[in-house]
Amino acid sequence: MRDACVIAGGQSKWGYRDATLIELFQEAGKACFDDNPNIKPADIDGILVASATSERLGRQTHLAPMVAEYLGIKTRSVCARAELLCGSGSSAIILAAGMIKSGMAETIMVIGGEKLFTPQRWETFYSQLGSVDHDWDGAQGLGLPPSLFSIIFQQHSDLYGTTEEQLAMVSVKNRRNGLNNPKGQFRKEITLEEAMSAKPVAVPLKLYDCCPVTDGAAAVILTSDSTAKDFTDKPLVKIIGTAQATESNSISNRGSWSTWSALKTAASTAYSRAGITADDIDVAQTHDCFTISEIIEYEDLGFCEKGEGGSFVEKGLSDFGGKVAVNTDGGLLSCGHPFGGTGIRQAIEITKQLRGDAAHQVENAKYGLTHNLSGAVVAHTIVIYGRD
Amino acid sequence: METQFNSLYSVILDTYPLEGKQLTKIWKFFEHLKEGRLTTTKCVKCGKVSYPPRILCPDCLSEELEWVDLPTKGVVEYFTELKAGIPVGFEKPLIHAYIRLSDSFHILSKIVGVKSIDDIRKGDKVKLKVFDVPSIPAEIGREKINIDRVYFAFEPDD
Ligand SMILES: [Zn+2]
Repeated sequence: MRDACVIAGGQSKWGYRDATLIELFQEAGKACFDDNPNIKPADIDGILVASATSERLGRQTHLAPMVAEYLGIKTRSVCARAELLCGSGSSAIILAAGMIKSGMAETIMVIGGEKLFTPQRWETFYSQLGSVDHDWDGAQGLGLPPSLFSIIFQQHSDLYGTTEEQLAMVSVKNRRNGLNNPKGQFRKEITLEEAMSAKPVAVPLKLYDCCPVTDGAAAVILTSDSTAKDFTDKPLVKIIGTAQATESNSISNRGSWSTWSALKTAASTAYSRAGITADDIDVAQTHDCFTISEIIEYEDLGFCEKGEGGSFVEKGLSDFGGKVAVNTDGGLLSCGHPFGGTGIRQAIEITKQLRGDAAHQVENAKYGLTHNLSGAVVAHTIVIYGRD
Repeated sequence: METQFNSLYSVILDTYPLEGKQLTKIWKFFEHLKEGRLTTTKCVKCGKVSYPPRILCPDCLSEELEWVDLPTKGVVEYFTELKAGIPVGFEKPLIHAYIRLSDSFHILSKIVGVKSIDDIRKGDKVKLKVFDVPSIPAEIGREKINIDRVYFAFEPDD
């Protein structure tokens, strides 16, 4: 079977934006086409749009044909929207790769983003009550995840001795990495002391433990390996393994808060499809919606043993020059998190790292991984990329 | 009773479930709440207890389910307070706890009846608290009715 490759990627400026949802999509599409001037809108035969809150917060349904029109794309193979909250972008990438590999499509733009700073920010907060089981968990006021991640950290700390300082080290690293990313929400380093003394959000999680509210969009273009050679002389970045796994959607009766069994399932499936192991991954963009998330992800993705995630970051093993460089573009903590855009932003950074033209390059990176969790740590989405 | 269609009830995203037998097949859950009971469904065929309540057993696909009572008293295992980004309709302090109701059943619930997070500790005993929430102005065919609603949280069990 043929391979699906990423041949272009770009994003809008992310943050508090003076732009509507459709304007953010136009900026992202333009940046994506600018990344590879050989590709024109007429070369695209399909579009998959990733957006979780386009109706409620972006005020728009039937989004894909609208984005296609604004970007001058006339689709023939696919024109639809994909939604898995924080995993929407990566879900659309998986669907596009499957269509290209099977021959149902040739060249697809995957574009995703959100408008979350609606005129009043509370609209986002209370719309999130629908991102967990609305009637049972949302009705308890559990829509915004900091409370959950506080409980996740408390259990991880009880079992493995993970400290609030180790959490802070994740945000210090990712804020430093974010300095390389002019399109991210924050380009400001923080010190360990600043992180430790920041105001509480969900006790004991503090401000810099949590990713922000963000407007933004991002886009990539995927095509078959044979067509890719018509458009680029750069090394081909192929999608070589994907997986999605889920566990209990209800927040009650969780087996464990601090071991994410669905992440382990997704990881082993994706590694096996790619024919590699965790040790082969050179660079990873994982879902650092909270600092504790990145620590658990080191463990359940197999970068370190269970319970050693805190010391993994403390020893610098997730930094440049460590075992695997994690969130090299700043991650969600630095770039922000417009849900549908995040997986695509991760794909752009991995593509640059494997092509060898990243802002801060991981030496000779051959295999890259993206990971998203979504909902109340219910679904895990993994895409593994390999350089030709 | 005159139906209030211009009330504060939000038609965009309502915080609470659709209750009442005109709107849901699991309306008995809310009737039980009004009696101070926390209940869920158990499969008559295979014995699987599901929470939240269902109309279909996810293990054997049987539709033959019965109501069973869950404990209404439990012990706090973990707790936290959301300080920023409190959703509209919820009041400060917004405290949540992961509560052990039995060996086989935990629930993550809001904690009410405390002035601050300092009033709660791991191992504290808590009990079910049922309260009224805004009614639903519902169109049932051509008829407009108000469906009264309740919901639940947990509070200290002194
Ligand atoms: Zn059954």
